[in-house]
Amino acid sequence: MNYFPDEVIEHIFDYVLSHRDRNALSLVCKSWYRIERCTRQRVFIGNCYSITPERLIQRFPGLKSLTLKGKPHFADFSLVPYGWGGFVSPWIEALAKSRVGLEELRLKRMVVSDESLELLSRSFTHFKSLVLVSCEGFTTDGLAAIAANCRFLRELDLQENEVEDHKGQWLSCFPDSCTSLVSLNFACLKGEVSLGALERLVARSPNLKSLKLNRSVPLDALQRIMMRAPQLADLGIGSFAHDPESEAYIKLKNTILKCKSITSLSGFLEAAPHCLEAIYPICSNLTSLNMSYAAGIQGSDLIKLIRHCVKLQRLWIMDCIGDKGLSVVAMTCKDLQELRVFPSVHLGNPAAVTEEGLVAISKGCPKLHSLLYFCHQMTNAGLIEVAKNCPNFIRFRLCILDATKPDPDTMQPLDEGFGAIVQSCRRLRRLSLSGQLTDQVFLYIGMYAEKLEMLSIAFAGESDKGMVYVLNGCKKLRKLEIRDCPFGNMALLTDVGKYETMRSLWMSSCEVTVGACKLLAKKMPRLNVEIFNENEQEDCSLEDGQKVEKMYLYRTLAGKRKDAPEYVWTL
Amino acid sequence: MPKMFSSKRILLSHDWKWIIHSLGNLILDQFHSLEDMGTLEQIDAPQTQSSSSSSSSIDSNNHPSRTPPPSSPSSSACRNRTDLSTDLRLGLCISPSSQSELPFHSTPREESFNWPPIKSILRSTLVGKQSHLGQRPSLFVKVYMEGIPIGRKLNLMAHYSYDGLVKTLGHMFRTTILCPNSQPLNSGIFHVLTYEDQEGDWMLVGDVPWEMFLNSVKRLKITRADRC
Repeated sequence: MNYFPDEVIEHIFDYVLSHRDRNALSLVCKSWYRIERCTRQRVFIGNCYSITPERLIQRFPGLKSLTLKGKPHFADFSLVPYGWGGFVSPWIEALAKSRVGLEELRLKRMVVSDESLELLSRSFTHFKSLVLVSCEGFTTDGLAAIAANCRFLRELDLQENEVEDHKGQWLSCFPDSCTSLVSLNFACLKGEVSLGALERLVARSPNLKSLKLNRSVPLDALQRIMMRAPQLADLGIGSFAHDPESEAYIKLKNTILKCKSITSLSGFLEAAPHCLEAIYPICSNLTSLNMSYAAGIQGSDLIKLIRHCVKLQRLWIMDCIGDKGLSVVAMTCKDLQELRVFPSVHLGNPAAVTEEGLVAISKGCPKLHSLLYFCHQMTNAGLIEVAKNCPNFIRFRLCILDATKPDPDTMQPLDEGFGAIVQSCRRLRRLSLSGQLTDQVFLYIGMYAEKLEMLSIAFAGESDKGMVYVLNGCKKLRKLEIRDCPFGNMALLTDVGKYETMRSLWMSSCEVTVGACKLLAKKMPRLNVEIFNENEQEDCSLEDGQKVEKMYLYRTLAGKRKDAPEYVWTL
Repeated sequence: MPKMFSSKRILLSHDWKWIIHSLGNLILDQFHSLEDMGTLEQIDAPQTQSSSSSSSSIDSNNHPSRTPPPSSPSSSACRNRTDLSTDLRLGLCISPSSQSELPFHSTPREESFNWPPIKSILRSTLVGKQSHLGQRPSLFVKVYMEGIPIGRKLNLMAHYSYDGLVKTLGHMFRTTILCPNSQPLNSGIFHVLTYEDQEGDWMLVGDVPWEMFLNSVKRLKITRADRC
């Protein structure tokens, strides 16, 4: 291959798209490294503190698309205190100063300020796509800047962010000349938007394929928007509650009949049960349905809806559908690949879902590969059967609401059930455990889960051995997050080199002490070992014997970070 | 004028009002607590950092003073130091059956904070939803105050957090209900709020997330703080 001119190699590299493959290419030899770095357009940084922006820009001058992740995953469940970090501004500032022609920025769990958004909007003339997932720190003023200044914007996708509403008309800031929008998602915004501006924007965006509205958009506006955008493929409905006799509702029903290209439906942020009938005509085209925010809908209405959705591949739903409802899903949705069942916080909802529903799904949907399942109970027999029926799991996340509940039939821990899952599903990359679990389950995981990359453990295990089994066994492990388990110093220090092969380790409410963390930090200079000290007494120094409440460590080439708040001690 | 409780409050007939009024005076005479109502903390449901509009802090228990849940028996000894400080703050008597001795695999009472792991934005959307729908279920429970034979009834579903509940009860019974972490400022007699759960045990209100509390509460009792 070295006898080919660079241009040929570049051409070949154009076909290599995945980050891992490109990373592998760059390791072959110096000239491949050089060619690869100059032609690389998309970069994924799983931990924004693992490298400095300057170093990234230096290596990849042709960068067009950057994905950054900030806070640890458990930040989603409020385990990471406010102000921890994940600020995007150094990145945007560095990119703005450089000659990088950034076109796409995707951020997850980062803190984004309005100033950063403004700078972003002004610095890159060909900026096309902004995707913010679970971010915070910005307001609708920042969005106004993006709308106003990014002349070729194609995608503005806001997923589950905390956005402060400043009542400015950010949607009106899209200039009349902006006709390039392909995807617009503002479902997470709490405030009102200018409906007129929204309708005009939709009318002048012939390429708009994905539109997700927030709850302030009423039914009649939805109807007008759908009239103007019959080409929509992905629709997020905001408000969907209306008097079924009203003219607006009848008009909407007729309009929906024309929207044959919709294959993905979500939202229903405000929904009344009877209104779901309006969607039945398009259900048979749907491949993706997200009802996880539709709290007002009873199980029986969900079941009626699902019966129409024969082509469904992805379903996110509340547990009020019940085990019976999941049987209906199993009978109807033979192509189902991804299922998420979320817990409803309703009172007086007796059974919700159990192992019965999951077993039914596994029997009916052999293509299932991704699962997130919140349930009231699980049995070993159930898990064993699921493992037998669905050997193709890539992601298997089970959350029993009573976190240490054993198998209710046998009163045994769920070790055997999860053991069956890891033994059967050889392609498993992500696993979350719950229920009563001893060290045995970790022995199984270490033995069988060869492809496992991410493991989430809570309230499980009996001793350090559990964690050691995992660290020794799972060669591909990248992210390990543990809370409320009896794993301590012996486990933490058993293989310190392992952590450099991983992206990060989170341990909270375990048995690890300050002394052990200090020792680890000393032995491994290329790890940042952070301890969160949230006590009110700030003057207390950390004694070695003190138990660590929260620890987060990650490999890094950037050294100790300078933006850590007071309660974070980097050892 | 402190905000009175929500519109779901039961309207009392004139006779009942007279009875409560008399009892209220009785309480006032005995306990002299009214003037302190504004100065003491109520049970503080910890706030999330999110700017979500939900009034309930469902992401409860991310409070620095919380201790981790019981771990396995072999390591329970290590936890005693932090357990003790929490128990003292709660003003509880430290009894042999304190939580550090619970085996790890029993139904933990404190294993509840930030569990189940769902995103706060989803949680707050769902709770906010309950208040908008007309068909919200109601849950009326009996509330007794120690020393008063006639109880009241209260719709727990009209509240979304411990904060609201305690405020309402404080008004209903004309007393101050302490939060677990506060110290009484003077030597008056104060009350704490307890509840009977599905297993028949009497527990201090405020330890578990609100929804979990709603699922397990059978009735409430306001007891004197100095009686643990």
